[in-house]
Amino acid sequence: MSFLSLVVKNPFRNKTRSSLAIVGIAIGIMVIVALGMITGGLESSTQSTLKAGAAEITVSQAGSTGMESSGSINQTYATDILSLSGVKSTAGILRASNTTTATTSSNSTQGGFGGGLSITGIDSDKLSLMSIDSMNGTAFTNDSTDQVIIGKTEAQSLNKTVGDTINLYGQNFTITGTFETGNFMTDNGIVMPLSTLQNLTSNQNKVSDVLVKVTDNANVTTVSNTITNAYPNQLSTSTAADSANRINQGLGFISTASWAISLLAIFIGAVGVINTMVMTVYERTREIGVLKAVGWKNSRILGMILGESIVLTLIAFVVGTVIAVVGVEVLLTLVPSVGNAITPSFSIYIFLRAFGIALLVGVIGGLYPAYRASRLSPTEALRYE
Amino acid sequence: MNNNENIIEIKDLKKGYDNGKIKALNGMNLKVKKGEFISIMGPSGSGKSSLLNMIGGLDIADEGTIKVAGIDMMTTKNLNKFRSKEIGFVFQMHNLIPNLSVVENVEIPMYETNTSSKDMRKRALELLKSVNLGDKIDQKPTKLSGGERQRVAIARALVNKPSIILADEPTGSLDSKTGEVILDLLKDLHKKENVTLVMVTHEPYVGNMAERIITVLDGKCLSDNRTTNSK
Ligand SMILES: Nc1ncnc2c1ncn2[C@@H]1O[C@H](COP(=O)(O)OP(=O)(O)OP(=O)(O)O)[C@@H](O)[C@H]1O
Ligand SMILES: [Mg+2]
Repeated sequence: MSFLSLVVKNPFRNKTRSSLAIVGIAIGIMVIVALGMITGGLESSTQSTLKAGAAEITVSQAGSTGMESSGSINQTYATDILSLSGVKSTAGILRASNTTTATTSSNSTQGGFGGGLSITGIDSDKLSLMSIDSMNGTAFTNDSTDQVIIGKTEAQSLNKTVGDTINLYGQNFTITGTFETGNFMTDNGIVMPLSTLQNLTSNQNKVSDVLVKVTDNANVTTVSNTITNAYPNQLSTSTAADSANRINQGLGFISTASWAISLLAIFIGAVGVINTMVMTVYERTREIGVLKAVGWKNSRILGMILGESIVLTLIAFVVGTVIAVVGVEVLLTLVPSVGNAITPSFSIYIFLRAFGIALLVGVIGGLYPAYRASRLSPTEALRYE
Repeated sequence: MNNNENIIEIKDLKKGYDNGKIKALNGMNLKVKKGEFISIMGPSGSGKSSLLNMIGGLDIADEGTIKVAGIDMMTTKNLNKFRSKEIGFVFQMHNLIPNLSVVENVEIPMYETNTSSKDMRKRALELLKSVNLGDKIDQKPTKLSGGERQRVAIARALVNKPSIILADEPTGSLDSKTGEVILDLLKDLHKKENVTLVMVTHEPYVGNMAERIITVLDGKCLSDNRTTNSK
């Protein structure tokens, strides 16, 4: 039998104790991997959100959050803003949500974050400002009252494709096209002509926001300031960079939190491993005496105990990683609203990090017990009862 | 090294424990020729095990000189190499590793010898056959009788072809009949392999099997007698 097989075999001598240590570390590894997959997924979807910012500036009513679900400013602002310097094009959009979910689909609709369907009204020639540049099928025509296009994720969760009918506000609409922008908010919604949505929600001539695209060489911040200065106390602006910063701050927080949790997991795991290995060495004192008597070097005894500790944490790494991957997949399937928004990251970095942490816990947790074992006096160890 | 040379040379050896309060060895003198079979007898606490530990390089004496197989035990560092090459220990308790099979237990001392796994297995099987355990190689030690365990321990002690076997009450935990089997085995081995055998025992009939009986008292050699077995 090779020395390595001995090292792998030994942790199974006391199955209960080793299993408990493994469970402890596996929970830590599971948290680290699961958080990594989810934050990694959030990071990549934010990146596509930013890339998709066809309109650099969103103009909304002063004091509002920019995510109002009903018309709050006059549609005329769209043409007014267009005359300001640095503005290339503008589009008034109306955001609404259809909470009645009166769809013809048999399975009840769970799309959208509020539980209802998120619907945006915009003129079809302005779709590119929402970064809807291409689609399966065709866009609606501006004067139609029974045509919509639908985001890919929403289409999937509603189980609809081009040509199907969808019931919104008690009326049937034909889906003329589906689109994918990479922005999970946009892809999880329905888009129809602005005027149609205004009529359906009694928001005639009102919009929620005005999307602004700046001219090629204009500075986004300067244009943004020009707009707020032109309409003080009436309009406020937010730029793609602003929201990127907000999201990055949020992600930064999540990532800090996940590091903190990782550190905690390392700490708890290491304490558990030290405890387990100290007990092992204590119980096997005589045996260690025998190993010294038959000529084992101190370094081999150190290597054996350290190796056993690493075996424990590597098993925990495998167990924790499997639970995390399966757990995240199950969670995202069971809760489609989250599942549609987040594609978990399977970046090798996440697994390498967890592996590194497991290895580190094994080394940190095993070092002291291994050192003690290697320093035992052979005669004392052999006299040990 | 021929059989007239001393493989063990001990002069005025002293070893104290608990800051010198206990004098386990107190001026011990002993010479053993290569290939001899000696038994060490004496009351409990007289220093027999301590003496064996010094010979085997498990502990280092405080004063005196001790040379074993040409190595100065007082100054040599890393005695593990010496133990691995020259010494085979057999203890009162078999001290086998419970989760390893019989054959794996016998392989344990070979890890320090750069032997391939295959050769390790070959050598271990060969020895287990010679101690009549060829049919128990895959058993766990817990499934064996006391005598069988001690035979495994003897196989383990022999596996690196040591020049000296140090046996500390090898029959101490066995009934007399099983004990005899073990003693016969050790005697046989001594004869066939020309290995030096130093055995601690407190049973006179066991001691009488040796060629020389050393009696120890208070850490000193009290008497040194040749028996009728002496060549
Ligand atoms: N590591 C140790 N620490 C403290 N005292 C020790 C140690 N080893 C031996 N002693 C003491 O040294 C003395 C001699 O011990 P030793 O084990 O050599 O006796 P022994 O002749 O083998 O006795 P027994 O027949 O009971 O095995 C005893 O008083 C013992 O308590
Ligand atoms: Mg003793």
